[in-house]
Amino acid sequence: MTPFPTLFKGTMWATNLTTVAMTVLAGLLVLVFVRLGVRRMDMRSPRGMQNVVEWAADFVTNMARETMPNERIVQWVLPLAFMMLVFLFFANWLGLIFVVDLKIGHPIPWLGITAEDIAKAHQSGKDFAIELFNSPTANMSMALGLAIMVWVISHAVGLRHPLQWLKHYKNPMAILEEITNPLTHGMRLYGNIFAGEALIGVLAGAPMLFGFIPWSLPLLVVWVFYSAFVSTIQAYVFTILMTLYIGNKAHGDHNHQATA
Amino acid sequence: MFEFGTMIVTLLAFLIMLAIVIRFGFKPLSNMMEQRRLHIERQIAEAEEGRAQAERLLAEHRELVDQARRESKQMVDAARARAEEQARQIVAAAEAEAARLLEENRKLIERERQEALDSVLNQVAGLTVELTGRLLRERVTPEVHQEMLKEAEKRLGELVC
Repeated sequence: MTPFPTLFKGTMWATNLTTVAMTVLAGLLVLVFVRLGVRRMDMRSPRGMQNVVEWAADFVTNMARETMPNERIVQWVLPLAFMMLVFLFFANWLGLIFVVDLKIGHPIPWLGITAEDIAKAHQSGKDFAIELFNSPTANMSMALGLAIMVWVISHAVGLRHPLQWLKHYKNPMAILEEITNPLTHGMRLYGNIFAGEALIGVLAGAPMLFGFIPWSLPLLVVWVFYSAFVSTIQAYVFTILMTLYIGNKAHGDHNHQATA
Repeated sequence: MFEFGTMIVTLLAFLIMLAIVIRFGFKPLSNMMEQRRLHIERQIAEAEEGRAQAERLLAEHRELVDQARRESKQMVDAARARAEEQARQIVAAAEAEAARLLEENRKLIERERQEALDSVLNQVAGLTVELTGRLLRERVTPEVHQEMLKEAEKRLGELVC
């Protein structure tokens, strides 16, 4: 596996710079996407990108209304859910478009690149390279971080009504759920995206038959399309689970409008 | 394998991007969609109000037309009655006038006939007197004359009476 440029490598505070950069890039793409939609915004006759952005906003609104108990919490979570859906869509797709590997010839200690690593790579007859472009969600820490953020938000929302929040834990299985929910929430996203990209890497790096027949190319094309499908679905799944988890904790007046 | 640094820094990056996207992208969009929702609601309310008003106006107009029709019918009826009355009066007046004229003419004719008769009678009487006088002057004796005067007086007396 290709290593990443990492700060504080080997400690608990290791920071994958590629993932951080890709997170910012995905966020910028969301900004560009939304700005394209709201540029020349027209209330009466929406055109082009405005339709797409409005469709996304409507889609998220309906999703939140179907999974959350009242309109107030729906309106509250709407910006986050919109950002999450579009952000994950772009983030999951980023690693499918292309991959940038940078060959490194000399050690850079503060990025966690040691002379030993380079020597080890050269011993097995390869160049030492670091990955500069992939999906941020293909990083376990990043995906779990998002899931933990959702978990924290859901409890912050639930604690607005502490008694009802406490009543939820009469069933001890609910405590187990508090661990499994964020864990599966984050790992599902990470696993799907990472598996897709790992297999793309394997297929793309496979040696050719007799040295010139690219036997893995059809498989690669199929797998890229499948990964694109999975990426889209996972963005949807993560977002709907987020609204579901926050909605489950949101108490107060239940003017449930699931039919809306 | 799990890196706290990656998690914290990516979360921070995500939250910063979230704030930026909300501030510069989502807020204008949701404001516009809310405005559109309000606009559509207002339009629907206005359309409903307009329709109610139109129905009210239509009913009012129908009522007015009915009233006008009733009034015009009344006016026509009244006018017809008055015209008939006037015609009857005119005919009656004409009949009365005709009767009066007829009566006057009849009286006139009677009077003129009487006058004509009288004048003829006078002439006849004059001629008679003249002829008689001429005859008498030639043939009658004073005795016979006297007797004839008597008889004439007697006859005249009969005539006057």
